[in-house]
Amino acid sequence: MSTQVHAAIDEATVRQISDDLDEPEWLLETRLEALSALDDVDFPDVIKTPGRKWTDLEGLDYDALVDPLSAAESKDQVGPADAEVLPFAEAVAEHEELLREHFGSVVAPETNYLTALSTALFTTGTVVYVPEGVDAEDVTVRTEMNSRSLFNYTLVVAEESSSVTILERQETGEDSVAPTAQRDEGGEAAGMDGDRYYSGITEIVAGENSYVQFGNLQDVDESTYVYSRREAAVDTYGTVNWIECNLGSRLTKSSVESHLDGDSSETKIVGAFYGHDDQHFDVNARVWHNAEHTTADLVTRGVVDDHARSVYEGVQHVGREAWDTNSYQRENTLMLSDESEADAAPKLIINNHDTEASHSATVGQVSAEDMFYMTSRAVDERTARNMLVEGFYVPVFEEIEVEELRDDLRSRIQDRLQARA
Amino acid sequence: MSSEDLQDTDTEARFEFKKKESSAFQAEKGLTEETIRVISEDKDEPEWMLQRRLRALEQFQEMPMPDDWPGAPDLSEVDVDEIVPYIRPDIETRGGAENWEDLPEEIQDTFDKLGIPEAEKNALSGVGAQYESEIVYQNMKEQWEEKGVIFCDMDKAVQEHEELVREYFMTKAVPPSDNKFAALHGAIWSGGSFVYVPEDTTVNMPVQAYFRMNSDGMGQFEHTLIIAEPNSEVHYIEGCSAPKYSAFNLHSGGVEVFVKEGAHVQYSTVQNWSKNTYNLNTKRAIAEADATMEWVSGSMGSKATMLYPSTILKGPGATDNHITIAFAGEGQDIDTGAKVYHNAPNTKSTIESKSIAKDGGRTNYRGLVHIADGATDSSTAVECDALMFDNESTSDTMPYMEIEESKVDVAHEATVGKIGDEDVFYLQSRGLDDDDAKQMIVSGFIEPITEELPIEYAVELNRLIELEMEGSLG
Repeated sequence: MSTQVHAAIDEATVRQISDDLDEPEWLLETRLEALSALDDVDFPDVIKTPGRKWTDLEGLDYDALVDPLSAAESKDQVGPADAEVLPFAEAVAEHEELLREHFGSVVAPETNYLTALSTALFTTGTVVYVPEGVDAEDVTVRTEMNSRSLFNYTLVVAEESSSVTILERQETGEDSVAPTAQRDEGGEAAGMDGDRYYSGITEIVAGENSYVQFGNLQDVDESTYVYSRREAAVDTYGTVNWIECNLGSRLTKSSVESHLDGDSSETKIVGAFYGHDDQHFDVNARVWHNAEHTTADLVTRGVVDDHARSVYEGVQHVGREAWDTNSYQRENTLMLSDESEADAAPKLIINNHDTEASHSATVGQVSAEDMFYMTSRAVDERTARNMLVEGFYVPVFEEIEVEELRDDLRSRIQDRLQARA
Repeated sequence: MSSEDLQDTDTEARFEFKKKESSAFQAEKGLTEETIRVISEDKDEPEWMLQRRLRALEQFQEMPMPDDWPGAPDLSEVDVDEIVPYIRPDIETRGGAENWEDLPEEIQDTFDKLGIPEAEKNALSGVGAQYESEIVYQNMKEQWEEKGVIFCDMDKAVQEHEELVREYFMTKAVPPSDNKFAALHGAIWSGGSFVYVPEDTTVNMPVQAYFRMNSDGMGQFEHTLIIAEPNSEVHYIEGCSAPKYSAFNLHSGGVEVFVKEGAHVQYSTVQNWSKNTYNLNTKRAIAEADATMEWVSGSMGSKATMLYPSTILKGPGATDNHITIAFAGEGQDIDTGAKVYHNAPNTKSTIESKSIAKDGGRTNYRGLVHIADGATDSSTAVECDALMFDNESTSDTMPYMEIEESKVDVAHEATVGKIGDEDVFYLQSRGLDDDDAKQMIVSGFIEPITEELPIEYAVELNRLIELEMEGSLG
């Protein structure tokens, strides 16, 4: 890893990345367009109330943090024989047409500053291609981040009547060298020693009558700033179920969105997070009902402890043509400390009256009655509290069909509770 | 007029009639320092009030329009240079007539149609009526005056209760710096009510004020200041209406309520602005220890409304309840909600919001619940229900919750639905026609609001909604 030359966010860097990956001209063009859009596009929407911005993404020094040419990662990409799970560079070589058709079709590169940055600079990625009628289980993509910054890209194309279960995770490699400073003059907070930046974009194209379950576990080290955006376009009778678990990072801005474009399509967005120390999670779940008879169910549960802070935004958008919509959303946050903060903004935008929709959100602490009940049955206080917190996540665990993800999430939550003083 | 008579009155005739404009003084269109000086001088105000107005004007000019909020109503048409900020109606008794009969016949007639004098006779402790920019009628039953209760118009209060007004007027609850329209209000406010209830005094009949805009292209900027001293109790009711004119109207009122320790204030309002009025208000209450603040509001009419009555729960044990209903028909954008700041331990709040959208109207619940660090054992429950009539309408819900304290209980719930076919079928099968069935369902839907209002207002609200729904069903 080079610390001498810090790659700038400029055309030369983009050309070099594209060249290293042996990309066709159109992809380079896409990258360059995204690069030049950086001057014009806004940062991702964050919630603002008078006098206050709930998450500050503009405060980061991207020039100092981002160094795509020094990117290093170790990656596992495995899947069953009947589906193709390819590293991005290989996919470019083998499935150029597929990429050309779908790349950027769900998450538009110029959605915002950070997606444009990702499109211009991504160096690693995975393409999952499930041909028509194929049922693919156990696709696993593990990314270990070993550098100061990493831009990752995932494309899933599930053709008609296929199904696939994908499990992604991001961690920081144990042998990764602590990044050295590219300190500004005066050494501002962002871009200081040890800070990292991880960006992950996921696009799912779910064909007619397909079924995609996409689970994600983000557990990078706590000096990393994370931007992740996952979006799915779901065709007629299709289903896309997301499970988005956020445990690591210093600050995460995560958006998971489903566009129900085909009649009778469905989605479920299940979220879990656990913030401790001074972690900050800005978690978004959004669904766009664009067709008839579509159904969405959004469930998020999170815990904040110590000085951690959570911001939740959930949007259920029912379009004018979305007749017979069913849309439900619930979000619950448990606060374990007085210094933590939990903000929530569930939103309903309804343009079709043939809709049944509801949303709810709660914030509270471990119930005193429950604690009393447990301690009166001779469970010590600490164990009781840990059991209750674990129990709080049960509605989320129940939604996770992939056993491995469920067990991992559960054990990470247990670890965190055990570590608690 | 009994409440039955009120029910029988043709509501359309009551609200849509329009009077010939005639005024004693009309300010120039637009907003300049000169206009402010003229208003202030015309009202014979003390120097400090003029200075506050001028400072607010400066702030107004510096502040941006609230148009960067997600889904905010379109205010591009609101051009302050096009409104007439101040009109004094042509009556001899400035500052309000003592007797109803002293009012010019036209004004009497207007308020008769609205049922104001009858309501006063029947159920109210006092009535104030504002026509255009000034209170034209003011009365207070003697029994309350004797106890030291003050109920008068704001302009009079500036003269007669200067110390109180100087202390509370736009200093603590709604400073002009709060938002652009609060600043505008601070600069050109005129009229409104002043209510002062001394310690340990219970005013057990509601006091009422009625505001009506009658001129084309005018702005109304009444200020309401309510001070309830410790352990006092009062219920203040405000009604507003304006007929429809071709140019846009602007209503930018200010309401400040001070609920001292152990006091209880209910502020109820049913507003029915014309469909070209922009209704951009700032209403805020500060509740001290163990005080209770209750907001009951029906937002009808207007082209666009942005109104989020807010309460700062400042003392331990303070309570706040909001009950709101919004109705948006064709071309209307009703963006309302509630704001509550829990700044002390053991504070409680509830918000119950109901909205109805039809014929392409938009309703939005926009709310903010803030629980500050240290506000332990606080609880809040927010419930929003939206009813949609057709597919041209839009209904949004945007609650925001900022929770900085762990020992709290916060819950938000919202539902959206259409009028149930089964419900309509059920009622029709029992002999009601489609219109009546839907009307009945709507009445049931808004019942939690109407049951909080005195009967005259509940009847009025029901009649207004009926009127809104007429001809649009079936």
